Amino acid sequence: MPADLDNSSTASGEVSGSSSGGNNPSQPQQSTTATPKKKRNLPGMPDPAAEVIALSPKTLMATNRFVCEICNKGFQRDQNLQLHRRGHNLPWKLRQRSGKDVKKRVYVCPEVSCVHHDPSRALGDLTGIKKHFCRKHGEKKWKCDKCSKKYAVQSDWKAHSKICGTREYKCDCGTLFSRRDSFITHRAFCDALAEESGRAHPRHPTPPPPSNRSTGPDPTAIVDSAPPPAPPAPPPSQSSAPSSSVSPIHSPELIETQDPAPIIEEPLAPVATVNASCSSSSTISSSNGSTTSTVFASLFASSTTASETTPPPQPQQETHSFTDLIRAMASHPDHTHTTVELAPPPTEPISLCLSTSHGSSIFGQERHYAPQPPSMSATALLQKAAQMGSSATNASLLRGLGIVSSASSSLSSSSSPSPAQLDIWGQRHMEADNSSVHHHQHQHPVLGLGLLPCDGGSGLKELMMGSTSSSVFGPKHATLDFLGLGMAAVGAGPSSGGLSALITSIGGGLDVAASFGAGEFSGKDIGSSS
Amino acid sequence: MSLSPGLGSPFPWLRDLQPEERGLCLIQLLHACANHVAAGSVENANVGLGHISHLASPDGDTMQRIAAYFTEALADRMLKVWPGLYKALNSTKTRSPSEEIIVQKLFFELCPFLKLSYVITNQAIVEAMEGEKMIHIIDLHSFEPAQWIELLRTLSARPEGPPHLRITGIHEQKEVLDQMGARLVEEAEKLDIPFQFNSIVSKLENLDLERLRVKTGEALAVSSVLQLHSLLATDEAEVVGRVSPSAPASKSASHNNHIQKFMQMNQHQKTLGEWLEKDVVHYHCSSPDSALSPLSLAPSPNMGTFLGAFWALSPKIMVVTEQESDHNGYSLTERVSEAMNFYAALFDCLESSTDPRASLERQKVEKMLFGKEIKNIIACEGNERRERHEKLEKWILRLELAGFGRVPLSYDGMWQANRLLQSYNYGGYKIKDKKGCLLICWHDRPLYSISAWRHRRQ
Repeated sequence: MPADLDNSSTASGEVSGSSSGGNNPSQPQQSTTATPKKKRNLPGMPDPAAEVIALSPKTLMATNRFVCEICNKGFQRDQNLQLHRRGHNLPWKLRQRSGKDVKKRVYVCPEVSCVHHDPSRALGDLTGIKKHFCRKHGEKKWKCDKCSKKYAVQSDWKAHSKICGTREYKCDCGTLFSRRDSFITHRAFCDALAEESGRAHPRHPTPPPPSNRSTGPDPTAIVDSAPPPAPPAPPPSQSSAPSSSVSPIHSPELIETQDPAPIIEEPLAPVATVNASCSSSSTISSSNGSTTSTVFASLFASSTTASETTPPPQPQQETHSFTDLIRAMASHPDHTHTTVELAPPPTEPISLCLSTSHGSSIFGQERHYAPQPPSMSATALLQKAAQMGSSATNASLLRGLGIVSSASSSLSSSSSPSPAQLDIWGQRHMEADNSSVHHHQHQHPVLGLGLLPCDGGSGLKELMMGSTSSSVFGPKHATLDFLGLGMAAVGAGPSSGGLSALITSIGGGLDVAASFGAGEFSGKDIGSSS
Repeated sequence: MSLSPGLGSPFPWLRDLQPEERGLCLIQLLHACANHVAAGSVENANVGLGHISHLASPDGDTMQRIAAYFTEALADRMLKVWPGLYKALNSTKTRSPSEEIIVQKLFFELCPFLKLSYVITNQAIVEAMEGEKMIHIIDLHSFEPAQWIELLRTLSARPEGPPHLRITGIHEQKEVLDQMGARLVEEAEKLDIPFQFNSIVSKLENLDLERLRVKTGEALAVSSVLQLHSLLATDEAEVVGRVSPSAPASKSASHNNHIQKFMQMNQHQKTLGEWLEKDVVHYHCSSPDSALSPLSLAPSPNMGTFLGAFWALSPKIMVVTEQESDHNGYSLTERVSEAMNFYAALFDCLESSTDPRASLERQKVEKMLFGKEIKNIIACEGNERRERHEKLEKWILRLELAGFGRVPLSYDGMWQANRLLQSYNYGGYKIKDKKGCLLICWHDRPLYSISAWRHRRQ
């Protein structure tokens, strides 16, 4: 039966309102005794069979609804009041939780405009609905003393003041975070950070770490992103003392950085200690592949431990490697006394080295193969062919073979992104200097190849220079003549003279062929074959 | 089976050639042949191939081997004119995926390129991920555990402690990924790094980005080693704007010519000279790329989509390793020239880096890796041609267009790469810095380029 909604202080503390689930004015009092884990519904989606309870704002906001008649002490819960009454030797009665199945109760917010006013969006917890009402529809009575935030619910206020002022993480974009995880997530997407890392490099110059000084790259290339010099100098005497090799590397380095003096001392110290500790890898010998890979691996480990992009808010612990020191120098001239630590313990490099037995690894054994003599290498051959093609001419041979100089001379076929190779087809270096080669064909068949008969002045040069106009094929007979004559003149026999002529004519023919542009073997045919 | 040069050839003098002369001869012949093939003059090309075959051999010296693979590729291309014949010939060829894996591992072992790339990639990733607690790495071609093992070790030695690391590996074969995952998990457990390996069995072009499951809050890194270029494959016939003004006319002209030539196939010419006499059809089609500008990019829709999708994932760093050579030219002869230079250098350095006792392995790499690439570059077109290598400046353009900003590679990475070269006693290799990107060179010839990128707000 409907009771007075506003009656909030009956003896039994009953308040009840309309119920949709049943007609019995059941007790709205939430049982506060601990129960085995209650099944929680999804937030905002109450159990459809639950009983909906609508409390008045007064009821919700009320604290200490239960008052002791003796001392007027207020309690939020009736159970607590009863227990208190025991102390007064008053009759008390603890209500047991109703034995029959506990009806699930859900609460709606009395504020009409609130989304939780709708029974389908009721909240399942009395305390929850109270807090909700206070937060959303109540007056903010609690204020943080450090900042200006105000809260309506006391627990919110307490929670905030614990955190307020304790923010530890600051992103470069200026946002503050008290929680590490949210800070990290933010940083991953922060634009400012991305800009910074994109801009702040090429990275700081890094000389080789202490244990590998002697095989480091050229000092001159260290500082900027200037193109590095040739490959690192072959390992000089491995026995050079660390300190001696430090200075040459450092001196150009130091020119660039601001505080030369402190650097020199600092690295020496860690060097010594590193060498002492990494005893297994201290023998610097590049010929011993395993130690080098050990060292390298340990370098690998250590050199990446220094901080890079964002200047650390406080001096970071850095490892022994020079790389870090120099980096620190470059970024913080005042950080000359960063603490220096050793790389991971010496046992680690050894174990890293042992990884090579695990099948393939990037840092495996060393191999000793002498490179092929360059004169025989294919690259050298190609280069030679290119040079020969571009430099050889034979005016007399050409004229002797009756080439007509008719074609125009734009070399479009070689206009393609030119590898040196295409220079064979004669863009440059057209010299008419091989008139005498004709006579030396016997002795130098190779040169014969170079005898791409083209001449600054004569027609074949133009032919070779090629043209994209169809007129090139006009003097077809000229080409034919040339080749025919070439064959005829020197004879197509097995003699070496014949050889050179053949090669010559090969060359000539090739030029002629090549000059007519880069053709395409009808794409359709190719494409349709699959 | 090596063919003694000159035997049975109409040119006995060929047998007397010195290796160097023979090499030069081969070069010339290859160019001539490529021109004939490009121009569509089949019988000339046929003769040319015949001549070359007398000189080339997969067992000979470097130039001979290179020539062998190039002629095979040219022949392959020519044969495609007869689709039925081509298919019939290839119908019983079996692909052995395990062999391919072996060959890739051999390449990793024998040449330093992959190792260098991994070292530099790892360094770039470690630097970019400083301070990150959750790292997610996407490996576009995940077959070599060594790369990530090294990274795991590096990360475990960080002063702030190892991050939570997640690696997503993509590969076409499940077994490779399983093996990789097992190996990496084992290593991570040893190092006590929270680690997770996800496998995605997929071809790169069919990659469904949803499967990557990139979560918010994790820092994303992408490692692409020699993979990106395959996305440039496109069906050229449909690509608009690639054609130079003169090309369409000449294209059809050449087509007709080629057919005519083909129909009028004369009897096989005996002499080299007469062969060279042959009328080479004038084919006028300058490469649109080079005609317009040296850096005009070949449009590629697949690449655009792919890069766009990855850009949207906001990677913190993406390291791209690619071959430094222009094998994506429109015209065949361009590609042949470029490829000859590039693979000559590769063959050279493979030979110099390999123990003579391991010549069988070297041959495997040459045949099944390089040879396959050469074949693809020369004999295939359209979507089939996946080995579309491009030079660094083009990659820079492409990636910048797609919204990526460059991350200069640090000196550290280069230094470590040099150390690796020294420790292995690899001679002849150089690492050069070019505008913050690194080029791995063999005696001044750049072979591979490595560059790092990040998501950039437009």
